[in-house]
Parts: sequence; C-alpha cells; structure tokens
Amino acid sequence: MHKKMAFSFPDEVLEHVFSFIQSDKDRNAVSMVCKSWYEIERWCRRKVFVGNCYAVSPRMVIRRFPEFRSIELKGKPHFADFNLVPDGWGGYVFPWIAEMAGAYPWLEEIRLKRMVVTDESLELIAKSFKNFKVLVLSSCEGFSTDGLAAIAASCKNLKELDLRDCEVDDLSAHWLSHFPETYTSLVSLNISCLGSDEASFSALERLVRRCTNLKTLRLNRAVPLDKIANILRHAPQLVEFGTGTYTADVRPDVYSDLAGVFSSCKELKSLSGFWDVIPDYLPAIYPVCSKLTSLNLSYATIQSPDLIKLVSHCPNLQRLLVLDYIEDSGLEVLASSCKDLQELRVFPSDPFGAEPNVSLTEQGLVAVSLGCPKLQSVLYFCRRMSNEALVTIARSRPNFTRFRLCIIEPKTADYLTLEPLDVGFGAIVQYCKDLRRLSLSGLLTDRVFEYIGTYAKKLEMLSVAFAGDSDLGLHHVLSGCESLRKLEIRDCPFGDKALLANAAKLETMRSLWMSSCAVSFAACKLLGQKMPRLNVEVIDERGPPDSRPENCPVDKLYIYRSIAGPRFDMPPFVWTMDEDSGLRLS
Amino acid sequence: MELQLGLSLPSTPIFPFKMLDLNSYGYELREGLGPFGINVNNNCGSCSSSCSSSSSGGADDGGGGTKKRRLLDEENRIVPKTLPLLFWTNQRPNDEDEPKDVDDHSSSAIFKNDGEGLVGWPPVKAWRKKVRRRVANVRAAVENSCGGRASSSTYVKVKMEGNAIARKIDISLHHSFESLTTTLMRMFDISDENGQKSFKLTYLDREGDWLLAEDVPWRTFIRSLKYIKLIRSRC
Repeated sequence: MHKKMAFSFPDEVLEHVFSFIQSDKDRNAVSMVCKSWYEIERWCRRKVFVGNCYAVSPRMVIRRFPEFRSIELKGKPHFADFNLVPDGWGGYVFPWIAEMAGAYPWLEEIRLKRMVVTDESLELIAKSFKNFKVLVLSSCEGFSTDGLAAIAASCKNLKELDLRDCEVDDLSAHWLSHFPETYTSLVSLNISCLGSDEASFSALERLVRRCTNLKTLRLNRAVPLDKIANILRHAPQLVEFGTGTYTADVRPDVYSDLAGVFSSCKELKSLSGFWDVIPDYLPAIYPVCSKLTSLNLSYATIQSPDLIKLVSHCPNLQRLLVLDYIEDSGLEVLASSCKDLQELRVFPSDPFGAEPNVSLTEQGLVAVSLGCPKLQSVLYFCRRMSNEALVTIARSRPNFTRFRLCIIEPKTADYLTLEPLDVGFGAIVQYCKDLRRLSLSGLLTDRVFEYIGTYAKKLEMLSVAFAGDSDLGLHHVLSGCESLRKLEIRDCPFGDKALLANAAKLETMRSLWMSSCAVSFAACKLLGQKMPRLNVEVIDERGPPDSRPENCPVDKLYIYRSIAGPRFDMPPFVWTMDEDSGLRLS
Repeated sequence: MELQLGLSLPSTPIFPFKMLDLNSYGYELREGLGPFGINVNNNCGSCSSSCSSSSSGGADDGGGGTKKRRLLDEENRIVPKTLPLLFWTNQRPNDEDEPKDVDDHSSSAIFKNDGEGLVGWPPVKAWRKKVRRRVANVRAAVENSCGGRASSSTYVKVKMEGNAIARKIDISLHHSFESLTTTLMRMFDISDENGQKSFKLTYLDREGDWLLAEDVPWRTFIRSLKYIKLIRSRC
C-alpha cells in the first residue's frame, strides 16, 4: 500500500529541472517543498546570495551548499554610503574567503557590496581559486592596488574585474602590468574609481589590444582624452565604455581622431565617465548616440544647452544619470525625445549650497513622468515639491517600481500650499502598486506612514529621514508593509513602543536601521534579550550606553535577523544586545 | 484584547500577560515567564531541524490561532504578524503630548541642526562629493594665513615665471599631472607645444622646499603641496 508520490523522479531529473531555476527566491521556495527537494536543491545550487554577511556564518553556507560556484555578499547597511556608519563597524570579507579557500577550490565568482576587503583577502582569492572568473567589488574599501596586482598576476581565467565606487589605496598604477602577456580572457574591466596618477597607459593599451573579447571598459579619471582614441581603436567591439577625463585643449586632430574611433564602435550601447567634460569634444560621440541605451553624465559639469543637444541625439536611451544642470527645460526635451526611458537619476551639482544654483524643480520630474511611458525608476534631487505634482506623477506613471525623491532641505513643505507632502507620497504608494523601493523627504507627518502601511504592499525597501510625529508612524509601516525587507530611518521621533509592539516583524525583514531617533537603551536591551534570532546592535561613539540612564535614546541602532548569533568582530563603539545584556553589557 | 508574549516557537503555548510598564521590563517579564517561558537558550544556530526538535512545551498548540506550520528553511519561517513585546493599544500614543507644530524645527534634541550641516545629508555618496566641482563655492577659495591648502580649502595659488598675476586653481579637480598641466597651460594661455615644453612645474612643499613636480608621485605632490610655480625650463 506504499503509494509512490508523484514527484519522486530520479534525482537527476529534478536536478535538471532545478537548473532552469536561477532566482534565489525561487530556489528557496523549491527547497521548502519537501525534504528530498531540499536535499537535491542544495547540492545543485550554484549561486548563493547572502544579503547580510552577518545573518549566517560562512561555515553554515558551505555546509548547506557544498557545490556553489558563485557567491554574492553584502556587508554594511546602506546608510554607510552617507557616512552614517562609523569606520570600523565591520563587514570584513576575510573570514568568508578563508573558509571558502579551504572548501571550494573551484569557486568562480565573488560579488561583494559594502564590505571591507583587504589585500590579504585578494591575495588569498588569487592563490586559492584556480578557475576564478569574476570579481565585482561594489562600494568596498580596505584594499590597495597591490591586492589587484595579485589578482591580475594569478587569475588566468579572469573574465570580469569590476571595481564600482570603491575606495582603493592607489599605491601604483603598474598593477595593470601584472596581467601576463599571455592573458587574454578579460571581458569586463571597470577601474573608474581608481585615483591613479600616471596610469600605466601602455600596459592598459596592450591589455585592451590582446583581450579581443573585451565588452566593458570603464576607465578612470586619470586617462586623458587623447589616450582614449588609442584604446578604443583596438576595441571596436566594446559594448560599454567609460571615458577618463573628457577635457583637453581643443585640437582638431584630437577631435577628428576621437570622432573617428567612436564611429567605428558599432556595438557601443553604454557610455560613462566624462569627468571635466568640455562641450567642444562632446559631438565626437554623436555617431554612437543613436544606439545608446545607457548614459551616465553624472560627472559632466556642462550646462543645460549642451546636455539638451546631447540628449536629443539619443532616442533609444533607457537609462540616464545626469546632474541637475539639465534643468527643467532639459528634462522636457528628454521627455519628448526618449520614449524608451526606464530609469532616471538627477544628482545635485551643489548639494550644500543654500540657494538653488540651477532651474530644476518638480516640473522636470512631472514632465518626464508624463512623457516617458516606460519610466519605472527614479532618483531625483530637487529643492521644492508639491502634492499636486506628486499626484500628477503618481497618476501618470503607476508603473514606478523605484521612487526616490530627495528634497534637499529637510522638512520642506509643499511650496504651493505649505502643507505636508503626505498626500503626494500617499498618491505614489496608492497608484504605484508595484512599488518596491521608496525614499521619502520633505515635510511629512504620521499620515504618510498610514498611507504607506495601507497601500504599499509590495514595498521592500523604505528610506525615511526627518519625518513623522510619533511612534504611530513607525507602527503603520511595520504592521502594514507586508513585503518590507529593509527599513532605514534617520532623525525621526520614533521610539520604543512601535518597535517593541512589532518585534516579530523584525524577524521577517533583513534589517532595520534607526539613527538619531528616540529608541531607548532599555528597549534595545529588551529586544536583544527576547529575540534571540535578532542581532540588536547599538552603535554609539559617545561611549557605552550603560553609562547613561536606560531611558536615554541610543545614537544608532542596527537590527538584523541572523542565524549565526552575535558577531565577535565588533569595534569598541558597537554593542550587541543579547540575552545576557540585562545582566551585563556585552 | 490580551497581551501576548509569544516570542518562542509557535508550538509553545502563549498566554495572556498584563500590560508592561516601560520602566520595569526586566522584573515583570521574569515574573510572567514561568514554566512556559521563553527558552532563551534556544538559539537556532546551525540547522532548522534542531530547532523544531528542541522546542519546549507540549504538543498543545493552543496559540490562539497564531500557530503556523514549521517550515524547513529557517530564513523563510512565517511568524505571526505581531508578536508584541508591548501591546499596541491603537490609541494615538502620547495623547498627552502636544501635536508637533509644523513650524517647529528644533523641537527635539535629537535633531542635529547645528548650522554646520547634517551628517550624511543630503544623501549624496561620499565619492560623488569629491569629484564634483563646487559651483558657487567662493567660501572654499578663502586663503588662509599660510597661503596654502588647509583641510577645508582645495584652492592653490599658481604663479608663472614672468607673469605678475597669481592665479588660483582647485586642486581637487585634478587626479594626474596631465590634467593639471593641461589646465595650467590653458589658464596661462600657453597653447602651443613649444610653449608647453618650455615650462616646468614646480611646487613649494610643506617643509618650505621648492621641488620639481615630475620627480614625485601625484599622491605625494597633492599631500604636501602649498604653492605651484611654473618656471621656464633652462634646457
């Protein structure tokens, strides 16, 4: 009477089926169907994603997934990008590399975000993984060009070396020469963050020349304009290119040389770089503009007329990063020229100036929202906003998935009515049903959080600053946002009650950051004591939190779920609230 | 509307609890734990299966409807929506407090509006700040008493031999001698190649020595630079 279950195929069949399932979410779901699926899935998972490096230990990962080839790790909380996380907080990758070096000689890909990577780690990677192919370091720090030299010298099969927004100690540009002359497998190289004086141009040129599969090349600022032509000449197959400094004395021979090589790059889809750009040399890229889908002009300090001219040449643009020099007028042109636009980021040219230096207002964002039917992701810095504009934006663009608005002056009201912007952001969450990421700014009361808790059911990440009146605001978000994974809050009057009333919610999220809020040390201790699967970290550079009264608010609080227990690599200004913290300070 | 303190696994019975006083957590909680108390040593470390087997309490899942099926993957465990350490009364909290005045920007000591700017606001990434030219930034160009680069100012005085007028250049915009030289040539209107070759870039360092810029790495140059002088090459 032993019924064979319908899904007891041979393991190989299931494995083959699972091989088509790439996303982590789906893989996790598959692993929960039954014990045998769990087992099969874990043996054939090739890519592991760890959203918080402290949520699990390297050993646990290795034990569960014995044969992965690719790992992605994230370290510091997002607010570290804005200097809110003190140096030395943590996020060290070395323990991971050390464990994997022993267990996985066949590891191929490492992707890290906001982690501290030392030269020692890089050297260990170079030494341990014979088939190492991909290294992507995003917003990482702690290493120098010596570590890069080790990678270059040893990783014979390296395909991708991508250093995005990293802080690298630039000891010598000659690390590039460590790629052996026999090495030709490079497909993607992004060194845009390197400071590098006297970049080793000849080594770079030789490298580009022999790596005929090179598709992505992002140079750093040190590469002068007249060297670009030499490099591009040898890589007409490039799909993505980032220039170095885009300024030089205006010389017709340099210009025509440059325009010539750009015309020969028939595959070019993405351009970036453009440091110090002068308008005279911009037309050199016109030959490739019609094919461009991505353009990063966020370092280009050119004015609106030149930006307008450039943008009008790019009808197929899907992604644009630009400074607010583009102004409302430029955004209007963008709205009428670039109907395929999906993502727009407008950065402030003078974020710390008291007065607006450009004519960029909410009108620009309205224009783009009205004119670009595929727009789904926006990051917009401006100095004024109105509920009316936000409602218009929400109504015309319900397909937003990421909406990040930064009104530069905190607590700025609707400039037309002087009211809070609750209704405007409320419209955004109400109409944009697929919204996954939202950043708020301007004058906001608890009401906006009520809207968010009520409507933003797909919201996964929320950033809040200088908003709200009371704990009710936080309570709305924690109790209403079903899909919430990451919540980061600064300078809001949220205290103990909402946090404690929604303690269990925190275990369903990746992390919560609260700084300059009103959460007391007592509440932190309680949370740490009662929620063993949460790491409750109090970050306070003023000194131990128990040197102040218990009801004193803590400076910074970082709470994240973890099955690895409290970490042991904390600096002196971080305290973990654990079960014993009621009795002593950890 | 009972207060529930079910912080342990769903199979552990949850029981009503009285409202907690924020000021006396430790005592009241310990009082209420009893034999059904939270097993704080139940640190579900390595494996999800060890968690389920070590849960305390009986098979009684009188959890008031909050029991959920135990799932294998620890990370995707469904927990009841609100397992409060404190019961939310749904009244407006702090009723006794005055509603915040919308014009009151400095109502709370937690706001660091000290006039010097807030840390990390606006949320622009640090590296972006470094590369951006400060447009209306006359403030950064204030000469300090020693005439060179202090921590806040990135402007450096530049003189050309034979030219009475000194200029100023924002050194933070440059990352290589090439770009610095190009800008300097433009600044002093030295357009032709011969002109460029006839000048050498020298600088006064912190120790008061005049050095040839081409002899040092960019990093060293930047760190100790006080003045720049373009001198005519004698060779």
